Amino acid sequence: MRTKPTSIRRQLLVMTLIVLTVINGVAIWAAELYANRAAKLSYDRLIHGAALQIVENINLLDRKVIVDLPVSAFETLALAPEDRAYYSVTSEAGSLLTGYSDLPSSTYVTASDAKAQENSSSPIYFDSFYRSENVRFITITKRLIESDYSEIVHVTIGQTTQARQQLADEMGGLVIQFLITFFCITLGLLMFGIWRVLRPLKSLRRAIELRSSTELTPLNTDVPSEIRPLVETVNYFMSQLNITLERLKRFTSEAAHQLRTPLAGVNLQAQNALIENDASKRQTQLQDIINSSELLTDTIHHLLEEATLTHRMRSQAFGDVQLDRLTKDVCRSLVVWALESEVEIEYLGQSSISCLGDDVALTQMLRNILENAVKYSPKHSVVEVNLYREKDLICLTVADQGNGISDEDKQHVFERFYRSKHNHTVGTGIGLSIAKEVAEHHGARLILTDNQPRGLLIKVVFEANGETV
Amino acid sequence: MKALLLSLMLLVSLCPVANAAQLNMLPSKESNQVELNIWGAANFDAIEPLLKAYQAQSPDTTIVYVEHSSLELFNRVLSIQPTDKKPDVIMSPAMDLQFKLVNDGYAMPYRSEVTDALPQWAKWRDEAFGFTFEPIVMVINQDILGNLAMPESREALLSLIRERSPLVQGKVGLSDIETVGLGYLTWFHDSQQSRTYGRLLEAFGSHHAQLYPNSSAMLQALLRGDIFIAYNVLGSYAFEWSQNYPWIRTVMPTDYTSVVMRTAFIYHEASNMPQAEFFLDYLLSDDGQNILATASSLIPLSESVTGTSSLSEIRRRPHGIFRPIPFGLPLLVQTDQAKRSLLLEEWRHAMRIGP
Repeated sequence: MRTKPTSIRRQLLVMTLIVLTVINGVAIWAAELYANRAAKLSYDRLIHGAALQIVENINLLDRKVIVDLPVSAFETLALAPEDRAYYSVTSEAGSLLTGYSDLPSSTYVTASDAKAQENSSSPIYFDSFYRSENVRFITITKRLIESDYSEIVHVTIGQTTQARQQLADEMGGLVIQFLITFFCITLGLLMFGIWRVLRPLKSLRRAIELRSSTELTPLNTDVPSEIRPLVETVNYFMSQLNITLERLKRFTSEAAHQLRTPLAGVNLQAQNALIENDASKRQTQLQDIINSSELLTDTIHHLLEEATLTHRMRSQAFGDVQLDRLTKDVCRSLVVWALESEVEIEYLGQSSISCLGDDVALTQMLRNILENAVKYSPKHSVVEVNLYREKDLICLTVADQGNGISDEDKQHVFERFYRSKHNHTVGTGIGLSIAKEVAEHHGARLILTDNQPRGLLIKVVFEANGETV
Repeated sequence: MKALLLSLMLLVSLCPVANAAQLNMLPSKESNQVELNIWGAANFDAIEPLLKAYQAQSPDTTIVYVEHSSLELFNRVLSIQPTDKKPDVIMSPAMDLQFKLVNDGYAMPYRSEVTDALPQWAKWRDEAFGFTFEPIVMVINQDILGNLAMPESREALLSLIRERSPLVQGKVGLSDIETVGLGYLTWFHDSQQSRTYGRLLEAFGSHHAQLYPNSSAMLQALLRGDIFIAYNVLGSYAFEWSQNYPWIRTVMPTDYTSVVMRTAFIYHEASNMPQAEFFLDYLLSDDGQNILATASSLIPLSESVTGTSSLSEIRRRPHGIFRPIPFGLPLLVQTDQAKRSLLLEEWRHAMRIGP
């Protein structure tokens, strides 16, 4: 099952929506809270004002409390035109002086509160359910003083909460309307922004779409700095691909050339052998044909090997390689073949060394170098193989006692199909070039020097990225 | 509250002129009947055309109209027991008492197209609805004027009383504000509005004003010659009387003319809620208002209707600034027992009534 490809646009939109919704949700919640508070405050002031007006009009006359309700107090209350109002004026003992007798009482009944009230004369607000409606009450206490007499009265006013609810709803509604508009505008702007930001990606896609399949030049589309690395990577990849393609093209033509010439030679030799009457000469010619075809087989073998290795080097990850064991194994596998040419292979390495690498490729590299060394060794000579550490480096050397190669040739010996003019030994010219590729793949250097007193010394130098066991 | 109730009931029961409730019935001729129970303060004569017109519309309704004085009505509503027969609609011109009842939760809210069409000042909380617009007038027997001009304002009335002091001694009629809800309402309004209030009180007191239990009784006394001047009479009745008896002149004071609104509300425990709503809609509808304007002396609130007792007709007469008593919370002050006793004390003192 394939997962649906993620879309940056959709992700941005979803995130934007979530953020906006959360912000707006919080804002609406806060607005409701604020609206309720503001409405409560303003209408609390209203009933406070009304209560103060009533208190103003309560007086003592001959030790009698006279309550002369002012109409203005009720006109103040009527500013909430649709709300019921209740009031009462009671003496300290709790007996009703005027008004509603059954109003719920606040906390003023407790003595300590009453004391606090007298001193501060601050109002006490409380909510209660009265006559099957929510009613907001206020109680104000006043001490009336005549020359030698004083009396405490409580004024309580209650008002239903319709107007304050309405005000709160109105304010809240206004804010919500604003927020909805804000939400829509913000969303629109953000969508536009997202479209703008993602536009370079679209133009990049179009630029790639418009290319022919063979065009591998770098992309030059103008993109933001965040996307630039991506474009650079694509460009790098394309240049790699270009190099690979070039190499393949060259290799194919060289290989064709290299195979065509020996095949033509074999063909010629075979025709000569066909018309040769001398049996001994024909024998020689047939032997030549066999030799040529063997060489051809080697060439093909190397070419295939190279192709295999190239593929392997592209695809295979590095592992831990016991370099000393690998070297010994290669030497061991070639020692019999070398003895056929009466050459000895001698392994001088002592330490056990490992590194990161591709064991198959390394085996092939060493094998090619070793085969090469044996091939150019005179009879009864020794090829010395050594493996050692030198500071941070790992060195693998193969030294023969052959003729060596000239300095001029040293520069070209790793080129594919290069054959020195002075070289008369049969060879494909691919072995060392494979060795070089493998060495480069491992970040190693191949160094050719003259062996003392004679011969060639090939040295492979690895960075010591492995562990000495 | 209870103290007020008790004192009011005591007053009502002690007062010899207080009318007992009168029960009037308009029985339906249909066999399948519903009953609509209306408690009101309007004279049955005045309200009958409306009730009849309503019954014509809904013939299966038997209408019971119980007539009270406005204060009586208020007290009766307060003292309804759970087992009592409940009224469906309550109507009264005593705006303060009506407001108090509505504020205290005796009304059932009701909304319809008809109530929505009412102006905002003519209703409160969709619970009480004004249906008449009645100027408060003074009525004068023009025979006493002699060569003096008809007094058009309170100021002029005071000069008239001064001029004709011996003649009008004991011949000024007032509502007894202690027992008449409407009288108290208009007198209180005067006390708030007018700078002449103190002098009026003084003049009425010194001339031994006669006290009457309602506007009709006052007008009858005027007709009999018991009194020559009646102050603060319901315009709706007065206009009708002065039409019938030309020597009785109705004056809307030009300094200001108080206006009261009869209000109606559906009792919160009405036994016949749908009929009550239906009746209320009819009362406030153009049809109902038209009946009031043409067939009844009551002056409907609606500006659009025309008729002998319509608002447009009233506006054509000389009048002062109409000062409708606002139907709102300030009316609560009028129902306050402390305030009431202050005002009554002043009143009794002026009228030389013993405490």
